[in-house]
Parts: sequence; C-alpha cells; structure tokens
Amino acid sequence: MSMVAELILNADSEARYLGPKEIHIFQDFLKTGEQRMRIARFLAENESRIVQNGTNKFWERCPVTPSNSGVERKTNSCMRDQGWYVRLIAYSIMAGSEKPLEEIGTIGIKEMYNSLEIPIRNIAECMQCLKEEAVSMMNEEDAAEVAPYFDFIIQSLS
Amino acid sequence: MQDLITSTINTFDVRAQYPDSDAMNKLEEYFRSGDLRAKASLAISANAKSIITKAVAKSLMYTDITAPGGNMYTCRRYAACIRDLEYFLRYATYAMLAGDPSILDERILNGLRETYNSLGVPIGGTIRAVQAMKDVTADLVGADAGKEMGVYFDYICSGLS
Repeated sequence: MSMVAELILNADSEARYLGPKEIHIFQDFLKTGEQRMRIARFLAENESRIVQNGTNKFWERCPVTPSNSGVERKTNSCMRDQGWYVRLIAYSIMAGSEKPLEEIGTIGIKEMYNSLEIPIRNIAECMQCLKEEAVSMMNEEDAAEVAPYFDFIIQSLS
Repeated sequence: MQDLITSTINTFDVRAQYPDSDAMNKLEEYFRSGDLRAKASLAISANAKSIITKAVAKSLMYTDITAPGGNMYTCRRYAACIRDLEYFLRYATYAMLAGDPSILDERILNGLRETYNSLGVPIGGTIRAVQAMKDVTADLVGADAGKEMGVYFDYICSGLS
C-alpha cells in the first residue's frame, strides 16, 4: 500500500471525500515523486554494483557464512536475495511507504531464513553492508531517503 | 485497493523486475499531475450535491423512470437512486486521485449489475445518469481533469453493461 491508498481508504471508512489537510498531504507526496523516482532509478541501475561491493564487505566482516563457503549455489542465492531487497527498497521509495517492503519482504523473514538455516545475525550484517554501499554512492539527501528502509529490514531481523 | 504506484509495483514484483521505462514514465506523469488531481477532488467534494442534481436533471428527470410505475417513482426509490449516484461520484473521485480503477471494482461494481437486475433498476438509465455526471463534472473541473474523471465514469458504465 502507498500513502495515496492509505489516505483514500481512511476517507472511505468515513464515507467522505478527502479533506483539505489530506489533499495537502496528497499534493506534497506527489510533489516529492520526482526525487523518489530518481532514487528508484539509481537503485535499479546500480543494483549489481551495490550487491557486489556489499557482498565483499560482508565477507570481510563475516567470513564464515554459507554464501562464502565455496558452494556456488549458496553464493548466488545470497546475492540474488540482496538484489531483491534492493529492488523492494526501490518499490518502497516509489510508494513513499515501507508497506511494499514489509508485505513482500519482511513479514516472515526470520522464519524463512531460520528454516533455510542461514544465521539471522549474518543476514543483518549483510544488510548493513548493503546499506553502507548504497548510501556511499548517493548524495546526503537521497541517502537519507534510502537508509531508513535498510534499517527497517535490519530491525525486522532483530 | 490499488493506486497507480502499487499496481505498478505488483505487476513488476511477480516478474522480479524494476518497472520498465513505460511504467516509470506513467508514474512520473502521475506525480506531475498532483495539483490537477487535488484541485479536481476539492471542487467535486464542494459541489457533489449540485453535480448530482444537474446530472439527474439532464438524464433521468421527466422521463418514464421518474413517472408513476418507473423505477425512480416514490421518494424512497428516488432517494436510493441519488444515494447510488453519490457513491459513484465519490468512488470515481477516489479512483481519479489514485490513478487506478481497482477501488471501483471492489466497492461498487462487483455484483452491482446482478443487484440492479434483481431490483429492477434499469441499467440503461443508470448509464445515462453516469454519462451526464461525466459531462457536468467536466464543466466544473475543466477539460484536463474532466478527461481524467471521464476515464473512471466510463469504467463504471462498462462495468455495468
């Protein structure tokens, strides 16, 4: 769900049109659309670099981990998942809400990785490295928009 | 419900892709149209009653529908008709803000034709009234916003027919 849908459903639950304040929120949200689309594009274009650099950093800090065990399938799965989380963050930035990230990628995340026997603390460290890499490529303003979503994933792992 | 942003995300997520350039352009256009949509919503909500009055005058009043034996005869049925038109207008306005018609399916259209048929509400007359609402709304909000609202009024009509 995005902020727009939230505003509409809230008004609908009271069978009324959006009020002036809600319309202001709607307008402000759409005005920031250009910046958010730019960030989403940046993440899309740089996903593989972010994942590659993030993985290297992760292995430096956490060398004993399934993705670094020499099993190619595990390395590929780990990097694929990292790429997916970058994509989900791009979705959330477009939506201006953590909902897409939450609905697709963090509800059940601990149960899933536990069942896959991947150490949760390693995943959290991996996301931290991914965040540091992504943020280091951006200007301060864009980084401030992106970082909280990585933190949201890390929190959902704690 | 979905809006243009979430429907784009859902479409591309099942393919594990970022939105393609077509979808990105549509989203950017949507973001640029925020003021237009906001103004239209405010104008419609301020004039909702009069939009309905004018639309009924243009389409249903003085026809067989409002005459004795017609489906809008008796105040109770007239009031029910007005209430439904108010729903259509409000949900079309939501859909216009969202840039996506899914809320119309969810809240209005699913099962509506069957309900109307079982109640004897004429579909043709309903469509005439919605089309009249489209014209009246366009007069109020101007051509650009009127065109966007028209998409959702037409969506209601095609969902009914």
